[in-house]
Formats: sequence, structure tokens, C-alpha cells
Amino acid sequence: MKIEQEQTELTENNHLPKPPKKFSDKELSVASVTSAKADAEVCLVDDDASVLRSMQYLLASDGIAVRAFNKPEEFLAHAANHPVPVVVTDIWMEGVTGLEILARMCAISPRPRVIVITARDDLAARATASAIGPVAFFIKPFNDEEFLAAVRDALEQAKK
Amino acid sequence: MSQANKVAKGQRETEEPFYAGQTWILEMVAANAPLPEILTNLVLLMEAQEEGMLCSILVLGSDGMRVRHGAAPSLPEAYVKAVNGASIGPRNGSCGTAMFLKRPVVVTDVLTDPLWADYRHLAEICGLRACWSTPIFSAQGDVLGSFAMYRQEPRGPNAEETHLTQVATHIAGIAIERQRVQETLRERDARINLAAESADLAFWVIYPEQNTAWMSDKGRVMYGFDSNLPLNRDRICARVHPDERAAVHAAFDRACASHGLFESEHRLVLPYGKTRWVIVRGRCLVDEHGHLLELIGVTIDVSAQKQAELQLQIQREEMSHLNRVALMGEMTASVAHELNQPLTAIANNASAARRFLERGNIDPKLLQQLLQDMVADSQRAGEVIRGIRALVQKDKTVVRTVLNLNSVIADTLRLVSSDIALRESVVVTEMDHSLPQVEAVPVQIQQVLLNLIMNALDAVEARPPAERRIIISTRSLNGESAEVSVRDFGIGLPKDRPDKVFDHFFSTKQTGMGMGLTIVRSIIETHGGKISAENAPDGGARFFFHLPATRGDSKSQAA
Repeated sequence: MKIEQEQTELTENNHLPKPPKKFSDKELSVASVTSAKADAEVCLVDDDASVLRSMQYLLASDGIAVRAFNKPEEFLAHAANHPVPVVVTDIWMEGVTGLEILARMCAISPRPRVIVITARDDLAARATASAIGPVAFFIKPFNDEEFLAAVRDALEQAKK
Repeated sequence: MSQANKVAKGQRETEEPFYAGQTWILEMVAANAPLPEILTNLVLLMEAQEEGMLCSILVLGSDGMRVRHGAAPSLPEAYVKAVNGASIGPRNGSCGTAMFLKRPVVVTDVLTDPLWADYRHLAEICGLRACWSTPIFSAQGDVLGSFAMYRQEPRGPNAEETHLTQVATHIAGIAIERQRVQETLRERDARINLAAESADLAFWVIYPEQNTAWMSDKGRVMYGFDSNLPLNRDRICARVHPDERAAVHAAFDRACASHGLFESEHRLVLPYGKTRWVIVRGRCLVDEHGHLLELIGVTIDVSAQKQAELQLQIQREEMSHLNRVALMGEMTASVAHELNQPLTAIANNASAARRFLERGNIDPKLLQQLLQDMVADSQRAGEVIRGIRALVQKDKTVVRTVLNLNSVIADTLRLVSSDIALRESVVVTEMDHSLPQVEAVPVQIQQVLLNLIMNALDAVEARPPAERRIIISTRSLNGESAEVSVRDFGIGLPKDRPDKVFDHFFSTKQTGMGMGLTIVRSIIETHGGKISAENAPDGGARFFFHLPATRGDSKSQAA
């Protein structure tokens, strides 16, 4: 639960133009590295808190602005009011069947470019992932260069 | 016949030598002299009392129908031979008739008496005219034989002769009866020994007072004692395995003190290091004053059974281990997922750190944070591997600990959460928070739960995703035991006998080996619990087991 809260705060921090005064070390660090390009945000959805945070750092280290969501429902709520050019998401979420969530993601308009990252390499996972037509599909753990390249490509395409 | 001569020589007109003779014969009886010798001397003693008198003793066979030669040192051999083996009956001479009628038969003239019709010619040849026969009775009044007096002139017995007959039948009765008892004892001994040896039993008797002991031949072989080595309790106990010796001594002491029973299962260590498993059962024999006489018992060699039991135990453990490996195989999705998550986080954090360093603007606090996260995720991966190892490892140290089944269920569900998600199923838990704690081997209970959960997942597989539901609930049974129920909404169990699913090799699954539930039951029963299966009224199967609540003290103990 604690980690979830942190994640929520982190995503809020992304909107701050400058590193604010009173943040904990953690918040300060991420905020300082992710607030640079607030215009083209990549949304991250993963129910594993530590994976989520590490992806946030990874994208931030490449200067990509990130908004992270620990729960797919929160992401869907966000997507209802904000444009989402690119979403990086896991495909199996606890508590809800993956298909249902993915169906709702597909329904987001305009349709975001989806990059699937999953810890499972099996037929079912691939079949489910392909159902939402991702621009890229990564099995965890993945090659950082390839992943970042895929995210940049997706962002480029989204701009067009 | 030196003894006979002694009797004859010692004969005088006074009664004294007669008494001396009787005493001497009774001493022979007491000393277990052979019966023919005793009876012959008795006959000679009687014959020596009166000039011209011949005597004989016949013994009734154990069939109660035929007579055997007892003693007739002065009768012609032809006569003795003819009588030996004859039947008793209402008209069978004096002796056969006396034994048959159980009363004295006095024939004053064998040449005219109808009882002697069949033997008359024989008597004639031998020159016998009168024959008075009296049955010999046991203390219980059974006929043992007969004592007869013969004369060469036709007449009946006088008072003196009747008295002699009384003495003779009394002593003969004692001698024959004693021999019968000993025969019976010998037969019984032989039977017991036969039974004992065919049952691999060893007999022993310990005489605490005398500090000696006796052991049957079989027992000496079992304990590895030479046949002539004097024995006592300490020597016998010295063969007991050192780990169990004190306990065996204590059990002996307890039995001796309470004059009660003795029972122990222990190992014997024989010379040259051979070990036997034995069960020893014994009891105390006390005299009428309550004084301990001896400790008598048997030792049974159960090495073969023990070996078989051990073998079975090993097989059971092997099966159980195979089952856990198989479960692990079914859980590959969860295992891969559980490991890939922290590995991904570590890889991402490391990449991020490298990139920040390359950009040259890294905040040391951020770097510290990344490193800290990497350490935490490495530890998380280590935990996953430890968990898998614990499950796949062979049971080396099976230690029971006090467990809360609610948390074991939560841990187990975490372990298979990915498989549950992958199979698009939902597991609902309904935990009773007042559930009593139980004493169990954690990994075995986890194995039970995993089997039940994986089975339930298989059972709901054919249902549409929305109906792939499994309910795991716990409840306290009066605080005395903790019950866990795993309920699915699948096709259910065999209608006729739901419990059949616990049988060996019963499987409804293509890939199943049919041993999971057998192992589950064996684990639950080893823990003193019980497991059942039933079809839920509104469809699906329900498995429920309960384990006894731990008693007060919550110390761990070896299973």
C-alpha cells in the first residue's frame, strides 16, 4: 500500500514545472528527472510496484516524461480526460481479467500506441497481447536499448 | 534288578522294611525315575510281602480303551505279551473288567469265571488260578490303570492282601499321574516351542533375585549369545542399542516395581554390528505372598517389518517429492513471473543508473535510490528461489511449527497468483480470524493447498471466464480444530463415491498421475487431521480438511 501511495505522488509531481521545495529524497529525485518534457507523456501501467518504479527511472534516464499507474483502473480514469499518446502496459492485472482491461484500453480515443511488457512468454500471453495490436511486445526482463527505442518510435509516430 | 534285590533282601516279618520300601519308591517318583522302573519295584515290593503271590500293573492308554504293559516282573512273558494292547470291557478278564467298571473285580477261579472266557487257556498254561484286580485312580477319579494279584490256588483276598492292594494302587496312582503330567508338560513345551520358533519368537525368563536369566535357543540366536553363556538381566540389556538401553532398563524397573506388564520396541545391536528391531513383551510372576519371582517374556524379531515400513516411508517421501516437483511444473507461469519481475526491475534500474551517469548530471541521492532498489529486488528474487527450493527439496528436516492456516493460505495464493490470473480464474478467500493455530510442517501444508488449488483451477478450466471461481474458506471448529475448505465451480466429483478421488491412481486429468490427492490425504492424516470431499449442492466440488488445534504451549517439535 505504501508503495502505491508513493507512485501516486510521483505521478502528480510530474505536473510540477520545477522540483518543489519539500519532497522526500525519492520524490525529489524522480521529480527532478522526469519533469523535463511534460508535453509528450508516456503512461506506464504495471501492478508490480518495483517494476513500475524501475521503468519510470529507465525512461527518465533517457529524458522521457512518464506518468505511472499502479492500477489499470487509475490509468483508465486518467485516459478518460487526458490524451495518451503512448502507453506501456503489462497485460495481466490482479483482480480483473486482463482481457477486460485491455478491451477498455482499446476503447480509449484517440487510440494510444501500446507497448506490451509482460513477465510471461507463452502463447496465451502473446495471443492476448496481439489482440490489442501493440506497436511492440517485450518479455521481462528486456533489452533497455530496444525498449527505449520502441518508446521513442512510438512517441515520434504519435506526433505525426 | 539290583533295586529289586534290595527290596527282597530287606524283607522281614516286621512292617518296617515295607514302609522303607514304600518310601524308597516314592523317592524314585519324586526323582522322576522312569515309570517302568518305579512300577516294577512297586510290584516286587508287593510280591515280597507274601509267599506265592504274583502281581502286575497295567496302564490304561491315553485313548481310555486299550491297556499297556506296566510291570509284571514275575509273570511269564507269553502272558504279558498277550495282555499288552488288550481292550477293556465288561468281560475282559479281571483287569480289563475292573478298569471298565471302575471298581475292584475279584475272580476266585479263572477256570470257571465267565469274565476269563477269552483268557482261560493262557491262565492255564501259566498256572494261574485266582486273579483280583483293582483300578488305579488319579486324584480326579479317572482310571489310570489296574493293579492285580495272582494266586496259583482258587481263592479270594484276605484282609492283609486287600490292604497291600490299597497301598499299591495309591503309590502306582501317584507315579502314573505324575508321569502323565510331565508328558503333558513336555507336549505343551514342544508345542509352544514349535509355535514360538515358527513365529520367530524368543522366550526368556529373568530371575531378579538370583540375578540370572534363561533364554530359549532361538532367543540366544536372536540376541547373539553362545548357548552356554550364563545370562542375567544386565547381559540381556547390554544387547539393546545404546540410545534405547536406558529406556528399556526403566521399563523393566517399572514392571518389576508394579508387578505389571512390560512392553518395548527397540533395537538390538549384536556382536559384529548387526542390528535387529525387536518387540519385547513380558509380565511379572509373583508368588502367593506377592513376592516377585520372575519376569517372563517373549522377544519378537520385527526387523523385516521395520525394513518394509522404512521402505514404504521412503517411497511415500519420494512420491510426495515427485508430487511437489510436478506441482512446481504446473506453476511455471507463476515461477517465471515471480523471478522475472525483480530481475526486470534490477535490469531497468541498472540501465537507468548507467544512463544518468553518462549524462553526467546524476543526483547522488538518485543513484543511491537506484542502488537501494536493486538490492531490494535482488533479495526479492532470492526469496522466490528459496521458496521454490523449499518446495522442491526432499524432506530432510521435517520440523513442525505452529502455524496460522490463514497466513499459509495467503502465502500459497501469492505463490500461484500468476497461474490463477493466467487461467483467468478468481480465488475468493473467506478467512475466519478466530482460527486456532495448528502444529504442522509448513511446506507440507503448502503442498496440500497447492494440490487442492491446482485441482480446482483444472476443474473450472472448462467454464467461461466469468464463472471460473474458487472459494477458499477457513473456520474454527469449536476452537478444537481448524478447517480449510477449497470449493470450485467445476463439474464436480464422481457421484457415487466422491471420496474415490483420494484413491491411488484415480485421475480425471489427461496429464495427472493420480497421486496428488492420495499424498494430500496422507499428509493430513500424518498431522492427525482428516480430509473429505463432497459435491457442493449448487454444483462443483468441495474439499475440506481439518487439523487439530495446537495445545497451549507453542513449542516447535520434530515431526
